[in-house]
Amino acid sequence: MIVEFKNAGLSYGEGAETLSDLNMTLGEGEFRFLTGPSGAGKTSLLKMIYLAHRPTRGEFSLFGEDAMQAPREALPALRRRIGVVFQEFRLLDHLTAFENVALPMKVAGINQNQYREDVSELLNWVDLGNRMDAKPATLSGGEKQRVALARALVSKPDLILADEPTGNVDPAMSERIMKLFIELNKLGAAVIVATHDLHMVQSLGKPVLRISDGKLSRAAGSGGAA
Amino acid sequence: MSRKNAKDNGDEFEADEKSRRRSLRRRRSQPLLPEAGAGGAPLTAVIAVISFLAVLAMAAVLIINAAAHDWTASLRSEITVQVKGANAADVDAGAAAAMRILNETDGVLNAVLRSQEESAALLEPWLGQANVSAFLNVPAIIEVTVTPALRGDLELLRNRIAAAAPGVTLDDHASWHGRLATAARSGQALAFTVFLLVMGAACAISIFAARAGLAANHEIVSVLHLVGATDDFIARQVQRRFFLLGLRGAVAGLAAALVALIFAGVIARTDVGTDSFLPQFTLGGWMILWLATVPLVTCLVTALSARLTVLKALREQY
Repeated sequence: MIVEFKNAGLSYGEGAETLSDLNMTLGEGEFRFLTGPSGAGKTSLLKMIYLAHRPTRGEFSLFGEDAMQAPREALPALRRRIGVVFQEFRLLDHLTAFENVALPMKVAGINQNQYREDVSELLNWVDLGNRMDAKPATLSGGEKQRVALARALVSKPDLILADEPTGNVDPAMSERIMKLFIELNKLGAAVIVATHDLHMVQSLGKPVLRISDGKLSRAAGSGGAA
Repeated sequence: MSRKNAKDNGDEFEADEKSRRRSLRRRRSQPLLPEAGAGGAPLTAVIAVISFLAVLAMAAVLIINAAAHDWTASLRSEITVQVKGANAADVDAGAAAAMRILNETDGVLNAVLRSQEESAALLEPWLGQANVSAFLNVPAIIEVTVTPALRGDLELLRNRIAAAAPGVTLDDHASWHGRLATAARSGQALAFTVFLLVMGAACAISIFAARAGLAANHEIVSVLHLVGATDDFIARQVQRRFFLLGLRGAVAGLAAALVALIFAGVIARTDVGTDSFLPQFTLGGWMILWLATVPLVTCLVTALSARLTVLKALREQY
């Protein structure tokens, strides 16, 4: 099992739980859309999965390991198996598009000679082959999003998490991105895409999880287990 | 014609591909933490000042050590025989008897009887350039160079000299030697304390700058974590940055300190000549080698302090 929550809850500080009674599984090669109104807890759920926060109660396992009890030193290895497309991109402003995409490889200690071609190819694929040396400040919102996407995918992660990955791109690029997620999913990567784009969700016919008021449920008519 | 176009297109594609590969190879990777985050130029300047002071403190340790070695070596190999008497004839007789014994003693390498004039000259700083011998019965001084073996056991020679004539005494400079050694040790301890304090200041500055840098780069550190960076990886980035900043500043400080020391040496030699009792500001090759280690120590202290600070902060805050 890639992700498994059992009766998990998350609260920030002493406040009420942002997410509560969370029960969810995501197996290898599974695809889920995550929908729900703004502020419902989609990003919080993704944050727990990519280990920015750990649940404050319940059980949580990631790649079969007990992520609640995992020591701090074990977290980087788990995070390297996850590719995240952040809603706000989170690119490093002082690095070029190429260097931003190469970041997970560099952090993993891989030599530049080994990833140079992959990074270049990925940037070409997202139509940014001619902007490799551009800094984020000179990129448009859509270009930043594509750099963020390339960074999430460059290390061929086992789990891909995307928070509104098509929010800043045109319909054609949006379609390409979603097709890429589906292709990567077919190749074995588990994928969770948080989105407001219900038209896209319906058109792709993938299982949907709906989150509302901090509670997760399986959307009516969608396959897969919540 | 179309075959020619195809060939041209093929050549063009190959040229583009070569250019693209060259461009990829040329791409230099930027440091993951931006320059300004670690304090940059101001930190380099502070490290330069710290290194300057550290080199001066270390130079003081080395100069005092060399001077103390010269002083005590000279005192260790020499003894002085002093001959007093009621009148000049007694002094001369006592001096002759003492010289006879010294010349017969194994282990005495050299014995020089200083003339009355030379002995009187020693009193000039206190009594002025008068005819001291006319109103004062100036003792005779015999400067004796001895072997280390004899220096180790002077009791027999002391007794024989004392028996040779009344008023003849042997001074092994033990009292001077002890005082000079104590003074030298105190001076060295003081200089070394200053060196340690300066290194402490380097450590404190690094901690402060590392914390400020980490706070300024919070988002970068957070992203590095999320893409799988270990604390050690992030600490290495900071450590490398601080080492390079420290090296730049420390080498500048060393250069400035060497110039200051050479200048001080020239001034000292010009003012007091080379026969001064005070230590010489001479920078020998070995001393420069020792001083050259100071920037390295400064860099290591700076980098290590930054590394430990970052590791601690990461554990507490992320």
